[in-house]
Parts: sequence; structure tokens; C-alpha cells
Amino acid sequence: MTDLVGHFLIFTIVATVLLVVPLLVGRLVRPWLPTEEKDSIYECGEPTIGTSYIQFDLRFYVVALLFIIFDVEVAFFFPWALVFGGATQLMDPTLSAEARSGLTDKLLNLPSSGLAEPISAETAHTLALTGLCDILVFFGVLLVGFAYVWKRGDLDWVRAMVVHARQARTNSTSLLIPRGGSASGGPGGTTPRETAVVP
Amino acid sequence: MECISPLLAAGSIGDFLRTQRVPFCGCELDSATVLILTAIIHAAFLFAMFGLVPFFFIWLERKVAGRIQDRLGPTRVGGRFGWLQSLADGVKLIQKEDLVPSMADGLLFRMAPYIACVATFGAFMVLPFSDGWSAVASDVGLFVLFAILSIEVVGIILAGYSSGSKWSLFGGMREAAQMVSYEIPLAICGLIPVLAVGSLNLTEIGQVQSGWFLNWLVFNSPFTFLAFWVYFTVSTASCKRAPFDLAEAESELVGGFHTEYSGMRWSFFFMAEYASMFLVSLVASLLFLGGWHTGIAPLDSVLTGLRETAAASPGFHVAGYVANLFGMMVLASKGAMLVFVQIWLRWTLPRLRIDQVMTTCLKYLVPMSCGLFLCQIIWPLVVISAVGRSTLVAWPEEMGGSIGERMGRQSVTRPVETDESAGQPGDDIDESAESSPESLPAVTESQDKVSAGSVRPHSVRTAARD
Repeated sequence: MTDLVGHFLIFTIVATVLLVVPLLVGRLVRPWLPTEEKDSIYECGEPTIGTSYIQFDLRFYVVALLFIIFDVEVAFFFPWALVFGGATQLMDPTLSAEARSGLTDKLLNLPSSGLAEPISAETAHTLALTGLCDILVFFGVLLVGFAYVWKRGDLDWVRAMVVHARQARTNSTSLLIPRGGSASGGPGGTTPRETAVVP
Repeated sequence: MECISPLLAAGSIGDFLRTQRVPFCGCELDSATVLILTAIIHAAFLFAMFGLVPFFFIWLERKVAGRIQDRLGPTRVGGRFGWLQSLADGVKLIQKEDLVPSMADGLLFRMAPYIACVATFGAFMVLPFSDGWSAVASDVGLFVLFAILSIEVVGIILAGYSSGSKWSLFGGMREAAQMVSYEIPLAICGLIPVLAVGSLNLTEIGQVQSGWFLNWLVFNSPFTFLAFWVYFTVSTASCKRAPFDLAEAESELVGGFHTEYSGMRWSFFFMAEYASMFLVSLVASLLFLGGWHTGIAPLDSVLTGLRETAAASPGFHVAGYVANLFGMMVLASKGAMLVFVQIWLRWTLPRLRIDQVMTTCLKYLVPMSCGLFLCQIIWPLVVISAVGRSTLVAWPEEMGGSIGERMGRQSVTRPVETDESAGQPGDDIDESAESSPESLPAVTESQDKVSAGSVRPHSVRTAARD
């Protein structure tokens, strides 16, 4: 752990130092002639209207929530995958004794000594099935949540389509309803929108 | 020459430093200093590569784009093929004025390119370029790699937010939404080969794919084969490459998150982008395409033999070094091929709309990767109960046997990492034990069963024959 963190720290420092060098070299040769126009924000040549430090659209929030849940789950998959992978390899009854003892040491996290009793194919089968049940429950909860979010329409980027689809469900004559009217639906409708509306 | 010969005799930078003395006091270096100095030297070497890779790929991109659009691309700088074009661009960019808009948040604006670059660069530290050629040999290598790589997005978001421009803000926000969505299938697809190998150590994942190319993990099962394509798509998107380059969509957002950047700071983003393209391609090669193995069994066994002799013998071993260098070339060519495909895609496919990008990810790639993950879990269980071995067709002995066979033998014959800066091996073992709390009860349980049932390996073999 300290090895990894220490390395990352050193790599960060080295990268930062080596990135600063061209900027410092550039300071000797590059011009510095600030003007008011040059320091202004580019907005297609027009004077800027308002500030850009504004609230974000709420749908980023939903995507971010989804990401956190998924990513935390996936982070827990990694150690599980090691054990499950080792167990499924040990399940193979045709495995040679040498390979079996090597895999056992690896799965039990022992130094390669051959002291541990090799795990049999049947035991590995039980272990793999236990792992399978674990992950099915663990992953199942996540997938149910994912299906709920999907059904609820939170995965639709263009909210107008959700509103439109809802209206279509309740109203059989939905084809007559103009599409643009409900484009600002959704909880984040009042904030400036991303340019995501279908052209 | 006087200073090079002890370096060659030492075998590794760490060994070399241990034999050296501090110039003025004449005392020997303690182990912590040696570790730090080794890490700094590794970092400097890797940074040289980190800087050169974008040089090459930017030139390649311009040449390929030219050819695809029926032009020649750069032709003049550096003689033939314009191969020094990137250097000329670099010299030009150094002379450009370093602008910070008055509306921008100066500190964050100046910091953002560093974060993007450092995150991409940091991910290289766990990457093995050949057998044991990594700065850190970690048992959680792949996990660390994904973790560090995902910091890059923070730099992009900061760049977009701190510019004070609406174009930048839109670009940064798109990048945020896009990256957080594509991280999910990226990590799940990275897990699929891990399920087959049972290891997160990238060196072990590479070693297990020796032999003929059918031993590569992409051919391990139908699901790893599909996962490779999903991984490639997702990794293209996670480098914000076309057709997923919504964060910098020139036709809609002027320049996206880098609208207000100029000169070297602007080019740092591109260094990070091209380096991360190469990085995800190298990871794809390691996870799916056999890593540093050529896929030709006789050639690979010769090279592996050379590496093992080099690892066993003290000091510098020329043949082993050359074998490792060759392995690095093989890995780099595989990575470069995948980068070429990414470039090819950029100049072939039109850019998607943001809602299409998000739909592609959340409604197609996430369910696909989840499905592939579940199938890859169930696959070995089904195959073993159906045919009684872990491969559908009998894997011949000259191929090295099934993946479990190869993995088991490999952990017997090569228990200790041969890397020069591996630090204390105990660290990694403790760490992987800590990071798998849920696995411990199951393992101890199985250990109990083993000792209670006292099943010996030879009795398993006979049972299998019966």
C-alpha cells in the first residue's frame, strides 16, 4: 500500500515538474501583451451575456448517482472475481497436482510453499456455487435498481421524450400534441439547458 | 562507459543504486532512498515515453486523416513523410501566449491541465511493458490503473468549469456525464478477463496468455470475445475520441472544455488524450490480446526461456534484456494497432449527438457488459458440469493446458515477482487480503473442508478418471 501510494506521489511530482519545464521555457520566448478583448471570454465574437457560473442541469445528478452506486458495486466485484476465478479454475477435475497446489496457494493467499492441502475439485465447486449465489444477490439488487431507473425514464437524456411518451400512454391522440411544448419538463427545467434537444 | 558498466552488471536500477555511494560523505544509500530514487528514475523514463507517444500518434493521426480524406497530410517537416511535424507544432505552441481569461478562476484554470496529465501518466506506473517490466508490480494492478485513470475526468471538468465560458461549461458537463457513464461498462469489461484468470496482477494476466494465440484471453470463451469489442468501444469513448468526442465538439461547442486554453496548456490536454488512448489500448492488449506474447508458441517459449534465465541469474543478462525489449515492442505494436483503429474510426464515423452517446452507454453498453459479466460467471460452471473439464474442446498439452493449468503452474514456478522495484512483497499480499473481506469466510470454510475431507490431489485425479 505504501509502495503504491509512494510511487503515485513520486510520479505526480515528477510529472508536474516535467510539465512545468516547457511552460517556464516558454516564458522566455512567448509574448505577454494582454488587452481587454483578448482577456474576455469567447462567445462567437459577441459580448458575453451573463456569467457561466450557473447551476447544472439536474439530470447530471441522476447520472452521477447511478454512477456512484454502480462504481461502488464494481469496486466490490474485483476481490470477489479473484476468489471466484480461482475457484472455477480449481473446479476442473483434469487439473494436474502441481497446478492444483499452485492455485490453492494463490487462492488462500499463502506463500508458494506447497504446505497447504490442495483444494479438491468438489470443494472448489461448492466455493464457486457459494460465490455465484453471493454475486447473484449482490448484483441482482443493483440490476433491479437499474431497471427501476430505466422504467422511470431517468436514463433518457432528452426529458421531453419522457414527457411525450407519458402523454402518449395516457392520451391515445398524442400524435396531435406539439412536441416542443413540453420540452422544459422535469425538475431541472428552469436552469439553462444543455444543447441536447433533438434538432 | 565507466559509469555504464556497473549499471549493466547490476541487473536493475535498484541493485545498481544499492552498490553506489553518496558522492561527498561516502556512506551507502539506505533502502528507502534507493526505493525513492528508483521510483524517480522509472518515472522519468516513463515520462519520456509519455511525451513521445503523443508526438508519434499526433503525426499518425494527421497522416491517416490525410489519406482517408484523399490528401497527403504533413509532408515537409523532417524530410520524408513530415515525421517531425509534431515537433514543429510543439515549438510553435511553446511560443504561443499563455492566456487566462479575466472571467476565469485562475488557479483552477492553470491547475486543470496538470490534473489531466498526471492522472493519465500515473496510470502507466502499474502497467507491465514486458514480463516484470513495470514500475510497481502490484497485486491489485488493474484496479489501481482504472482508479487512477478515472481521475483524468476531474481535470477536464475543472477546465470546463473554471474557464468562465459557456462553451467550456457545456463541454465539461458533457464530459462529466459521459465519463461517469462509460466508467461502468469499462470496469465491468475489465473484470471479465479477471474472472477467467483469477488475478488482478497485470503481469500475471500477461504471463498466463503464453503459447499459441488461442491462449489469448479474447479466445477464452465467447463472452471474453464479445467483451473485447465492448471494451474497445467503451475505451474509445472514455478517451473522448470521435465518434464520442462530445466534450470538444468543434461544430457545436467551438472547442468544448478547451475553448479558452492556448499554447502549452492547451497541448497538455492533447498529450493526456493521446497518452490515454495508448494506455487503454495497451490495457486491451494485456487483458485480451496476449500482452507481450507474439502468439506463436515456439517463439514465445524461446523468449520466455531467455527471460527466466535472466531472472534466475544475478547481474545483467543481455539476452533476457533483449527478450524483454522484444516483448515491449510486441505489446507496443499491439497497442499502436488499436490506436490506429481508433484514429480510423474518428475519420470514418460522424459524431453522435449527446443524447445518442448517453443512450448508447446506459441502454446498450451497460446492459451488454452486465450480461456478458453474468454469462462469464456462469460459463465455467456450465462447461465443467457438461463436459467435465474447463474447456469445451480438449486443450492439448503442447498448448500449455487450460487456463487454470497454466495459472497454477505459473504460480508454482514463479512465486516471487522479478521486478526490480517491487518493494516488500508482503505489502501486496496484505493489501489484497484487506481488499477482499467477503472472500475470507468462504476461503477458510473451504480450507476446513479440505482438511476435514483430506482429499489428496492424486485421489482427485483417479476420481476424475473413474
